[in-house]
Amino acid sequence: MRTLSGTTDLPVLLPRRMPSATEWGAADGARFFGSRTWLFLLLAMSALSVAAQASDAPARAGIVETVWKWMPLISSGFLFNLLVSAASMVLGTALGVLLGLGQISLHPSVRKASWTLTQFFRNAPWLVLLFFAMFLLPFELRIGGLVIPLPAWLKAIIGLSLPVMGNVAEIVRGGIRSIPTGQWESAESLAFSRMQILWQIIIPQAVKRMIPPWMNLYAILTMATTLISVVGIQDAMTLTRGALVAEARTDLYLPLYFMLLLMFFAYCYPIARLTLMLERRFAVNA
Amino acid sequence: MKSILTGIMAALGLFAGVATTIAQTPDTIAQIKQRGTIVVGVKNDYKPWGFLDPSGKIVGMEIDLVDEIAKKLGVKVELIPVTAANRMEFLNQGRTDLVIATMGDTEARRKVVGMIEPNYYAGATNVLAPKSANLKKWEDLKDRKVCAVQGAYYNRRVTQLYQPELIVFPAVPDALNALIGGNCIAFLFDDTLIVSTLAGGDQKWAGYEMPLTSEDPQLWAIGVRLTDLDAPFGKLIKEMSVDWHKSGKLLELEKKWGIKSSPYLVEQNKKLSGS
Repeated sequence: MRTLSGTTDLPVLLPRRMPSATEWGAADGARFFGSRTWLFLLLAMSALSVAAQASDAPARAGIVETVWKWMPLISSGFLFNLLVSAASMVLGTALGVLLGLGQISLHPSVRKASWTLTQFFRNAPWLVLLFFAMFLLPFELRIGGLVIPLPAWLKAIIGLSLPVMGNVAEIVRGGIRSIPTGQWESAESLAFSRMQILWQIIIPQAVKRMIPPWMNLYAILTMATTLISVVGIQDAMTLTRGALVAEARTDLYLPLYFMLLLMFFAYCYPIARLTLMLERRFAVNA
Repeated sequence: MKSILTGIMAALGLFAGVATTIAQTPDTIAQIKQRGTIVVGVKNDYKPWGFLDPSGKIVGMEIDLVDEIAKKLGVKVELIPVTAANRMEFLNQGRTDLVIATMGDTEARRKVVGMIEPNYYAGATNVLAPKSANLKKWEDLKDRKVCAVQGAYYNRRVTQLYQPELIVFPAVPDALNALIGGNCIAFLFDDTLIVSTLAGGDQKWAGYEMPLTSEDPQLWAIGVRLTDLDAPFGKLIKEMSVDWHKSGKLLELEKKWGIKSSPYLVEQNKKLSGS
């Protein structure tokens, strides 16, 4: 499907030329964690220990020791954050794909409705959407005699999947629109139905272009899951705060939050590198 | 394509069609016993009333009270951490049966939830401030930056009376950290907790004091749904509450958790056990 070789005056998004494309292209895997990453982590660690030494009082447990003591609990909270992020992403993507396809529908009413919904959820603050989901959804659903409990974490997942839905819809629409219209026209001339063109010709090409921004969105979502601490869910952020309260020591404030930050960094940074790698791999060489 | 479109419409309709259903609770005790668990909203960020231990369990004075109630009913306990912003909401939604979460017993709140009397604690308002701030009276706070915690009952009253510039934080550690960082000249808080903090022996607080006269004594109450207040469930909690005062249980718990004994509890104990 590499029909883009040579020049074109069609309004397409040309691949970005990376100055160091050759350097990165060959050894992507080996450079997955660049040396700079390790340097950053090292700096981070030393900052932590300096902070620890600077405010070390005798007679009390050392900072590193105390942080270590709370590590299992906060890690379990972090795993919960990851679970929420994955579930929101799945739900948001499923809904977003429908909404994205709705935006290119031939029915004006479907198109307009999908467009409105996309714009609404894409341009609303995440925290506000989360609040709406938390406080508008009941704590249990009664459909006839069936009672479906809606625990807080489920509502949070729904709440976070709303902005994901809006963003995925735009990614899908943009990805499909980025395929030159010539492809639609040639497929039509070969008697493909609209459905066939979409699923067999356009989407297979568009998916490649959608994956990097989709992964970016996932990384952003993962970091945004700390928002659920605001609505009273026991995530890593809430547990960190709980640890601070229990210790009642102000010198732990930075080290504990810093540990949380490192956890998110260690998870999100590889995703960012992988996204970059995929972007390069899928780039069409002009 | 048609099927996709109907799919989209169905999915969107699902969101719009979710109707709010609030459970009606005719007999809470029976419900709790049938479930085998009492679900209680508690604080997990307010030492020593409710806070976390490193295993993730919530402990504290209020949790001890919850355990007493569960023992009486012969059920297990499920603790749901709540915040000042959602504790009454959770109770009225039916997500919790009871709320024991450092909740001040105010006139406005009495319209929303049932407050159990006698109250189990009383605090008053004061500030924690560096000695260098040289605060003498409440009026000195006018137009100065004062740190506070979200949802605390005294925030509003102090703001209206003395017009400080209130900087509100989500939890106590954040506010204390801001105070130490010099972002505000005082921290508005419960007086017994300030005393506990100052007496904690932390060198950090050596230059700090509780300079003002404690004001606005405020009772703390266990909350039940309004429909439960005069029903068997509310009555049971009320009876237990009287017992706690009479037997000195509350005073004992105060000591256990290192809270400076509050005059209110001493007085109630005398009043109830004397008669």
